[in-house]
Amino acid sequence: MLATTSRDIQVNDVSMVFHGRGDSVIALEKVNLNVASGQFASIIGPSGCGKSTLLRLVADIMQPFAGNVRLGSGTPRDARHDHAIGFVFQSATLLPWRTVMQNIELPLDVVGRDSARRSPRSTQDLIELVGLKGFENALPHQLSGGMQQRVAIARALILTPDVLLLDEPFGALDEITRQRMNMELLRIWSESGTTALLVTHSIAEAVFMSDQVHVMSPRPGKITSVIDVPLPRPRTVDMMRTSPFFECVNRVRDGLFGHEESTPAADVVEAY
Amino acid sequence: MAVSLRSIERGLATTWRPLLTAAVLLALLEVLKQANMLPVFLPAPSQVLNEIVKSPRLVTDSLPPTAYKALSGFVIASAIAMIAGAIAVLARVLYGSIYNLGVILHSIPIIATAPLLALWLGTGPQLQIIITALACQFPVLVGTMQGLRAADERQRELMHVLSASRLQTLRILLLPGAVPYLFAGFKIAAPAAVLGAITAEWAGAERGIGAMMLYALFSYDTPKVWLSVLLTCTLALAGYGFVVLVERLAFYWGRDVQLAN
Repeated sequence: MLATTSRDIQVNDVSMVFHGRGDSVIALEKVNLNVASGQFASIIGPSGCGKSTLLRLVADIMQPFAGNVRLGSGTPRDARHDHAIGFVFQSATLLPWRTVMQNIELPLDVVGRDSARRSPRSTQDLIELVGLKGFENALPHQLSGGMQQRVAIARALILTPDVLLLDEPFGALDEITRQRMNMELLRIWSESGTTALLVTHSIAEAVFMSDQVHVMSPRPGKITSVIDVPLPRPRTVDMMRTSPFFECVNRVRDGLFGHEESTPAADVVEAY
Repeated sequence: MAVSLRSIERGLATTWRPLLTAAVLLALLEVLKQANMLPVFLPAPSQVLNEIVKSPRLVTDSLPPTAYKALSGFVIASAIAMIAGAIAVLARVLYGSIYNLGVILHSIPIIATAPLLALWLGTGPQLQIIITALACQFPVLVGTMQGLRAADERQRELMHVLSASRLQTLRILLLPGAVPYLFAGFKIAAPAAVLGAITAEWAGAERGIGAMMLYALFSYDTPKVWLSVLLTCTLALAGYGFVVLVERLAFYWGRDVQLAN
């Protein structure tokens, strides 16, 4: 539908070290990750495994200690200067003095209202998409946490990014809204052709959304396995009941916990 | 309209107690004075009021010049302090120097330096406005410098990912974020400007509350001294009240929430 120039994500041998008081912590060790142009990938791992750090390196918020990141044919910095990166934070990160509508349109204030990057969807469309019709002129403090996060997602979609980076964006949402937002996100993603990378700690969410799931382990953070998800697109909620889905969920779980800790299938349900 | 009526109602609900207390105290003072139980330096409230009734020009002649100097000094100090604060935050190298300069200017004892400055600059209203500005710049400077640094890490990262320029970040994120801190500074600076203007007038103003205060002191005219004190308080409170009113409009998103952190 859109003539977007999607970019692939290449993370090559990236290491990251944080220097604390006296000691240094290796946050990432020789991480390699590739997401083909237009694909949806996710990173899953326990807290503190460096998955958010990895996402920040891709977004040019931080620079790697060693190795390099490429987005398409350029560096993350090039992509950022092209306004080609969309980023959704764990917390909504809204500006409290701006209404819902003004917060969603914040990126337009930076890139210009008639930018070629502007989404063909109107702001009103986006507001309806994230279910905030009637709250256009509300201020962030008048909204619930989940509603605030939905504003943040609409804000990331007002431009059509080549690379969409999502740092546990739905962690604060209730499960019903979360499932709905996931479906909407997939629909928007497939329409836009953007490359998406999602950080999550929900196994079912990772499998449901992605073409590949990258499993990370902590101390030092590294990618221990990559699971391809062969489910067809568009994804539907019904697919979450099929055996290929559970097979992928189990393989991700094995990647996270190893075989010896596998417990009866009951906790597959708990994962979502 | 309904909103403003409701806020007036709420205002009355919170102020009637202090007003009643003040009225009771004043009545007590009056009674004690009539009974000759107060020393000379404490006049009866009616004596102070009588000064106004006797010669209303005491008020109409002295209040406007002082109000004018306080307002001018406040506006000039605020403008300079906000610009200096913004420069300090944008150009990190200058941060320490600007902060230190603000502290030093703030710690100068005006009462001693005002006469010296008067010898140098003459005793015109410009001198008094400069002294007033010196007396009230610091809270605005601190408010600006704190406020412009108040944006949290995620908000800065958001602007960074959008590849916003420094100027865009300042305009879109930092300046609006500084508003609550700025008003905290203004609220301290407004009464300080009035006190500064009074002190400045002691250095040789012909008219103004400070001048009236000085004449009254030298002629042991206690009711008039107290009248000047009353006028000073009124002016300072008016300045404070005005800042609070403007804050309600400018800091509209914080009415029900606490200052961040």
